[in-house]
Amino acid sequence: MFLSFASWLHKTPISLVFQNQVAWLWPTCETLHFAGLALLLGVAGMFDLRLLGFMKRVPISVVKDFMPWALVGFTLNLMTGMIFVISQPAQYFGNPTWWVKVGFLIVAGANAFIFETAYGRRAAAIPVGEDTPTPLKIIAGVSLISWLGVLVAGRFLPFVGAGIGAGL
Amino acid sequence: MEEFLLRLQESDFGVWVSSAPTIFAYPTILMLHTVGLAMIVGPAWVLDVRLLGYGARLPVEALRGAFRIMWIGFFINASTGIALFISEADDKGLKWIFWVKLLTIAVALVVTTRLRRTVFGSGVASDVATPKARNLAKASLFLWLGAITAGRLMAYIK
Repeated sequence: MFLSFASWLHKTPISLVFQNQVAWLWPTCETLHFAGLALLLGVAGMFDLRLLGFMKRVPISVVKDFMPWALVGFTLNLMTGMIFVISQPAQYFGNPTWWVKVGFLIVAGANAFIFETAYGRRAAAIPVGEDTPTPLKIIAGVSLISWLGVLVAGRFLPFVGAGIGAGL
Repeated sequence: MEEFLLRLQESDFGVWVSSAPTIFAYPTILMLHTVGLAMIVGPAWVLDVRLLGYGARLPVEALRGAFRIMWIGFFINASTGIALFISEADDKGLKWIFWVKLLTIAVALVVTTRLRRTVFGSGVASDVATPKARNLAKASLFLWLGAITAGRLMAYIK
């Protein structure tokens, strides 16, 4: 099912535009993808460390002030990632490692959603210097592991399960 | 020079890294190089944007620990970088973009140590960055972006 979708997507005008620009588009998007991951992991990682109990003298809401930068990194990577997938759909849909990456993305997203909806207000109310409750530490651990999983699966894409070894 | 690079690349270790049929050789070393990148550039950029005035409620002093993460990241990337270089010495060593990457990293390291001394060198870090600290933060921002760009282009520029 996904592979027939891939071959349809491969022939769409937008995919053809990306494919024909590939000489400069691909390296540019890859560079932005790496810069985006550094920004996302830097900011989200700092927030996770705060939830794990580091930087206790700083209110959680203050560390959260940096989250827009994580969102910039995420948006950059979502956009460049979509350009990769639209350009070469079969290379990704046909690679189990890509699905592992998508799986980690879903876990990271669901985890962030659970934090925002169920714990966001409670976290903001934790007094400075006080230990964070276990559920927040679990959320922080899941966040760190799932974003690392996204990175590891992404980097393994060309080596594990790849039919076409492009984009080393 | 080229003979030396070729000998490196064809050494037992070089051949193991580039062609051992296991995920623990080239793929894992390359993956760790990306983990290290995030550990260096992520905290560096957080500190840079804070010094440039963003998220001003965060005491700069709270970011002192960022350097520990960055040094671990740098250790990972120096080690994996050397291994990756050995495995493709005769290719990467002859590319000008590779030397641009190394030079950019060298300058970025100088800027980072100066920034650390300027901001954290004398007691508790001030929450308002001096013009010198701001300039170093801007330099750090662009130098690490430059290092990432040059690193990526190594796969494309002949």
